[in-house]
Amino acid sequence: MYVLGWRGVIREFMRYKGGIFGLILLIFLVGLAIFAPVLSSTDVFYKWYEPTYWAAQNLPKGVPPEWINMFGDKTYATQAVLTPEISQPSALLYNITFKYEYTADIPPYDIIIDIFSNITEGSQMVIFMDIIRPDGLRIYRVVDVQSDQSIVKISLRSAVDAPKKIFVFGLQFETEETRREITEKGLLSVLNPMDVVFGVAEEGIVFGRSGPLNGEYIFNIIVYRLTEENTLNDIKLTIAGSVYGIMGTDALGRDLFGGIVWGSRIALIIGLGVAIISVAIALVYGTLSAYVGGWTDEALQRIQEFVISIPVLPLLLILAYVFTPSVWNLIFLLVIFSWPGPVKTIRSMALQIREQLYITSAKAIGLSTWRVISRYILPQILPYTFALVAFSVPGAILTEAGVSFLLGNQGALEVTWGRILNDAEKYSAVLTGMWWWVIPPGLMISIAGLAFVLVGNALDRVLNPRLLR
Amino acid sequence: MGLAKYATYRVVNALVILFLVLLITAVIMNQYVEDTIKTEIESIIQQEVYRNPQYAQLSPEEKEQIAQVRRDFYYTKYGLNQPYIVRVLYRAYDALTFKFGRAVTLRSSTGSSLVVDIILEALPRTILLFTTATIITIIIGIILGMKSAVKVGSLFDRTISTFALFTYSLPMWWTGLLFILYFSYMLNIFPSGGIVSTPPPEGFAYYLDVLWHMALPTITIVFVNFGGWSYMTRSIVTNVMTEDFVITAKAKGVPERSILYGHVFRTASPPLVTSMVLSLIYSLSGAIITEAVFSWPGIGRLYWMAISSGDMPVVLGLVYITTFLYVFAVLILDFIYGLLDPRVKVGV
Repeated sequence: MYVLGWRGVIREFMRYKGGIFGLILLIFLVGLAIFAPVLSSTDVFYKWYEPTYWAAQNLPKGVPPEWINMFGDKTYATQAVLTPEISQPSALLYNITFKYEYTADIPPYDIIIDIFSNITEGSQMVIFMDIIRPDGLRIYRVVDVQSDQSIVKISLRSAVDAPKKIFVFGLQFETEETRREITEKGLLSVLNPMDVVFGVAEEGIVFGRSGPLNGEYIFNIIVYRLTEENTLNDIKLTIAGSVYGIMGTDALGRDLFGGIVWGSRIALIIGLGVAIISVAIALVYGTLSAYVGGWTDEALQRIQEFVISIPVLPLLLILAYVFTPSVWNLIFLLVIFSWPGPVKTIRSMALQIREQLYITSAKAIGLSTWRVISRYILPQILPYTFALVAFSVPGAILTEAGVSFLLGNQGALEVTWGRILNDAEKYSAVLTGMWWWVIPPGLMISIAGLAFVLVGNALDRVLNPRLLR
Repeated sequence: MGLAKYATYRVVNALVILFLVLLITAVIMNQYVEDTIKTEIESIIQQEVYRNPQYAQLSPEEKEQIAQVRRDFYYTKYGLNQPYIVRVLYRAYDALTFKFGRAVTLRSSTGSSLVVDIILEALPRTILLFTTATIITIIIGIILGMKSAVKVGSLFDRTISTFALFTYSLPMWWTGLLFILYFSYMLNIFPSGGIVSTPPPEGFAYYLDVLWHMALPTITIVFVNFGGWSYMTRSIVTNVMTEDFVITAKAKGVPERSILYGHVFRTASPPLVTSMVLSLIYSLSGAIITEAVFSWPGIGRLYWMAISSGDMPVVLGLVYITTFLYVFAVLILDFIYGLLDPRVKVGV
């Protein structure tokens, strides 16, 4: 029945273009899963659902991937961390300058300052920042804060008074009428302060209509300390890009590339885990059913038909509430519903083998049922189960994605493609056109499914005795 | 005798599934209902005993004693001190008679908080969308499948097969998201969700509006499913076409068309029906999620809302009613299959 041998199988397999394509996709996925810690960091995986971790990363929120700069006629500002030039004009004063060369058309998403100091209790630091634009104009005191914290983070976009000061600078170039209209309609809350900072000083600057002002920007920060013990340990200025990374960021400022990469690991674990366990159960179950026959066969077949006709999704949804959410529980639940799938195929193969003469001889010399099954029947069917495993994976991955999409944190705790889409749906990414948040996860689900279907199809043709003609 | 045995077996199978789901529903519902009742009883006792001016002079121990008496009274009244099995059976009876109680936050459009009302309001909309999409899929699927079965190996056949392979691993609901992104966000030709515009138009325009809202979800379901259905039709039909009676018919000189539709299609229809039933069931769960994506106010959308707002009574009611309908539908289709294919009766 199984006459090809490993080399033969590989040679036969290589004859199917679809199978090779599937294999390439599969290698790509497995590569992503294995090298996830290299391609992304382990923190991305363990802290995906921790807002504090992502706040510390200074990533822009909801921006497209960097490569869109290669298409379209407008370039977007990319992420940059600037290096400080620090001088100390007097004992209690730090004078820090950052230089930023702005060459894009679409301004950055945000400017974020991080200050680390060893401030003592009861003491304070005073922080000022001016922005000197390439046209020589200066936006005074954009930052003007006092702090007693050892870690200070100031985002120009979301700080309390920074946007106001920037708009005051911008409004002086607008007509009297526009100014009145803006205050009357309360438009400032919907306008982007970055348009003002990086825009040509002309009418329309607050609406971002005056065009980009390219050139060198200087961010001049002054830090006063009250006592000499309070030293400034580090200062960092991040230009959060209006595009980011390979896959952009979501509305919470998470790097979607990291999520997609780690998601491949979970998808493969769930897909292969469910498929292998289910097929293993089906293998024993189907063979036993076929070999023993009679009433046992009848009963086992009825049980299998019963389980296969249970509607999976509603029950999974409700069971997910009973079990604590985790990948392992999800695998367990999926196995409960998917083991009956391959049983019929395995049973019919075992039935054919049972009629072979050598099985009768094995029985005749008095071997036990289990020994006959494990020594003489299972090894015959085993090669074909590879195809069955491949066929079972897409279903498991699709169901997991669907359940995670519906349940969110009730499904898996880890970041999965389905959960990324769940977040996308919660933040209505589709209705705001954030395609980079919606397309990649689903595409990965489809690719994973397709890879296994293609490989399964080719394996089926190579290994399935019924099709070997 | 054969058909009767087949029918009995099918009905018993369906009943066992329903019983199992009923049991799971009852156990979870029991947990939920008891927690709710207990919190309510505690708050009543607070009012009756601890905040009662009559008992103000009593010591804490005496108050606790009175509270315990009241607690026992309420526990007996609501049957909480009966054996666990009995309590679960109560819930099972409730579920059996569709008494799922009241929803926590969700309401029907008429303002009713009864779970049954909410679900019964959503159900016809799901049936409308899913049936329409399924009928379209069947028609397209069979036509394309027959066409490629006639020309096995042709470019048309290979295109359909490849397409089927691609859509097999495509999550239907994600395709829905993509279609919304493209057709309603970028091109703005279809609404992004819902069943009617707000405010809903009057008269005939109302039905047109519903159709317009139905278009995109229907296109999604058909797009994802029709490839698989044509592939299925193709494989079954090609199998039948190698049978002796087809060759005989060809040899007799029966016209190609009449062989295809008179001989082949007729023989192929029973297995087609089963395969289609199975794939219909398979796509139902996809359709539930797809509905949520399109904010189509049916069962799927209700699932999404109930789960995201943690409305347990609605979730339980939904699980039970969907399973019920599902099992019922499969049962009916099984009978149709049994009637179509005489061999089934003998086989069981």
